[in-house]
Amino acid sequence: MKTDKNKKLKVGVYGITGCSGCQLSIIFNEEEILDLLSLIDLKAFPFIKELNIDEEFDCIILEGLVANKGDLEILRKLRRNSKMLVSLGACACTGCVPAYRHFTLKENYEHLLYKKQEELQDVEPSPHDEHVKVDYYIPGCPPDKKEILRFIKGSVRGVLPRPHQNPVCIECRRNGNACLLDEGKPCLGPITTGGCNAVCINGGFECWGCRGPTKDMNLDLMIKMLRDRGFDDRFIQDRMRTFVGLKLPMLERVMQGPKSKVLQTRFDGEKKFYE
Amino acid sequence: MSKTITLNHITKIEGHAKLNLKIDKGKITTCELSATEGARYFEGIVKGRKYYAAHEMTSRICGICSCAHVVAALTAVEDALGLTISEQSCRLRVLLTLAERIRSHATHLYFLALPDYLGYESALSMAPEYKPQLQAALRLMKMGNGIVKLLGGRDLHPVSAGVGGWLKLPKQEEMEETGKELLKVKKDAIATVKLFAGLKQPEFESDAEWFSLVDPNEYAVLKGKFASGKSSFEKHEYRKFIEEYHQAYSTSNFVVKEDRRYFVSALARLNNNHRQLSRDAQKALKETGLKPPSKNPYHNNLAQAIELIHCIDHAMEICKREIKQEEMPEITPRAGRGVGAIEVPRGTLWHEYTLDEKGIITDANIITPTAQNLFAMQEDIRKRMPSLLKKKKQEIVLDMEKLIRNYDPCFSCAAHFLEVKWL
Ligand code: SF4
Ligand code: SF4
Ligand code: SF4
Repeated sequence: MKTDKNKKLKVGVYGITGCSGCQLSIIFNEEEILDLLSLIDLKAFPFIKELNIDEEFDCIILEGLVANKGDLEILRKLRRNSKMLVSLGACACTGCVPAYRHFTLKENYEHLLYKKQEELQDVEPSPHDEHVKVDYYIPGCPPDKKEILRFIKGSVRGVLPRPHQNPVCIECRRNGNACLLDEGKPCLGPITTGGCNAVCINGGFECWGCRGPTKDMNLDLMIKMLRDRGFDDRFIQDRMRTFVGLKLPMLERVMQGPKSKVLQTRFDGEKKFYE
Repeated sequence: MSKTITLNHITKIEGHAKLNLKIDKGKITTCELSATEGARYFEGIVKGRKYYAAHEMTSRICGICSCAHVVAALTAVEDALGLTISEQSCRLRVLLTLAERIRSHATHLYFLALPDYLGYESALSMAPEYKPQLQAALRLMKMGNGIVKLLGGRDLHPVSAGVGGWLKLPKQEEMEETGKELLKVKKDAIATVKLFAGLKQPEFESDAEWFSLVDPNEYAVLKGKFASGKSSFEKHEYRKFIEEYHQAYSTSNFVVKEDRRYFVSALARLNNNHRQLSRDAQKALKETGLKPPSKNPYHNNLAQAIELIHCIDHAMEICKREIKQEEMPEITPRAGRGVGAIEVPRGTLWHEYTLDEKGIITDANIITPTAQNLFAMQEDIRKRMPSLLKKKKQEIVLDMEKLIRNYDPCFSCAAHFLEVKWL
């Protein structure tokens, strides 16, 4: 029996400033994408659709961060028009790499703002939840494409998947990877929310923390572990801030704070990293 | 009669752009194509970071060509460090680049371009009638995605490619398996060429010159000189080239000097290098009747389709080669300037970094294909308009969108053009 088209979940997929990678991640569900679209009423998806019906939505899935006034207008309008707003990807959830601008010297990028009009339009790079209420987060840069599927299927049934809580390390261990921290590399897995199946470590690379800090992270301990491995404070700050700097406002304070609170840890190996 | 056409949100392109056209008494008084993305200042935010962060950060410029930004950044950084990578490392980077091109071309051709020609609003609405074609597209996309994941560790923004080589190598069996899969989807690439060769394209000639890398050894991917039919530049001379071709405009735009407008794209590659296409790609090209060089930007789709066959053939060759375990080279930071110029889905991509003696990035410059094409696109629109003036606004809009989409612009990348200062 066919469901009444009007009863289907009215979904809109949009992007503001970003790399389109999150929206591509939806389409890159090659095997399921066509079927998936029969489950929902896709009212708008300008990336791949010419006709985009701008009206009341049940669910807006939005890629990208707020980087200019236009972004902000779109974000506010979509929020008003939708029962649910979903931030898709690291740009949307944390500001991702573009928000690293907060931690860099103004003189590094100022000259790039040479067009007056641009300057007037510019907004401090920021994630959605600095401006509006967000109902659900699908983190990651890029987000896990299967996680997007699970979310859409879940919302059609009215049961949203529970957000991940555990750190990346749990999935990483389960996959049987050798621990990169043990090898003297700067992995942020212990303080980062999993759900990506530790995909970077599987690929031989350290976790940079793109899915954002866990609720109960032990930042103190993470910093100590990195210092023990010979990483200096500048490195630790840069690395932690690359993807989620805005979500670690306490970083400087913790780094300068008393070190005594920290548990006993020792590392006898050698730092193994680029000089 | 005066007419204003503003396309505030051009759909079915990568990123966000708008077109502003004003026509007064049959004359085009304004023609402005621009990115509406917020600026992200990648060149600014990598400053002060170490050389090994450049590719990780700049990858985020663009999802559809994240591998391209990774490889271009690594090439530039290694050039600055005076580091040579192994033949195998380079070969696998070529494979990563080709795989990304396969999925990018397939996505563009079927999801962004084809609906215009078949009279649908989107690929999704084509599904009931064109399911086999869409499935072919999805198989090609899956193939490209599979290789990117195998080599790069992730679907987008690959992580396994590092400064000096690969952090993780694929297994021999995985490469063999990939080779078999590639052979299976080759028929989809051939069908794509047939499909696009059958679409009616307007007669039109751009005034722009074409440029791509040209490599005597192969259909250029990561190496070669930047050349057109008329001139040729070494990659390190790119600033000189750009000086010759561009001049800063007083407000925002870059204009290209008279007759010096150029485009980069699959079509530009085909124009320069079609003799180096794989045998089957050459055969397909011949059957389409397209005779390079072509200056008709509407032929870019067909050029992409032909490249699909070539990329699959080239990728299959690479998959046959043996994978040897290799150590990453020791790296000693040093001061220097390095340039990376590579062929990516939409044309030639440039990355340049200057490092100090500690390996800290003191300067960066990134020029994406769409930034280079923007003027050619804009001027093509200007040139094409007069022949359309009698049509209805709706038809003009569709024609303009088709022209823009044929270039396969990526405005996520091109938001950059606001950030590059042409000298
Ligand atoms: S989160 Fe990553 S993949 Fe998504 S738009 Fe931002 S940079 Fe692109
Ligand atoms: S490699 Fe990283 S994510 Fe994996 S267990 Fe070690 S610290 Fe955790
Ligand atoms: S391993 Fe870390 S950096 Fe990689 S995807 Fe997962 S959270 Fe992001």
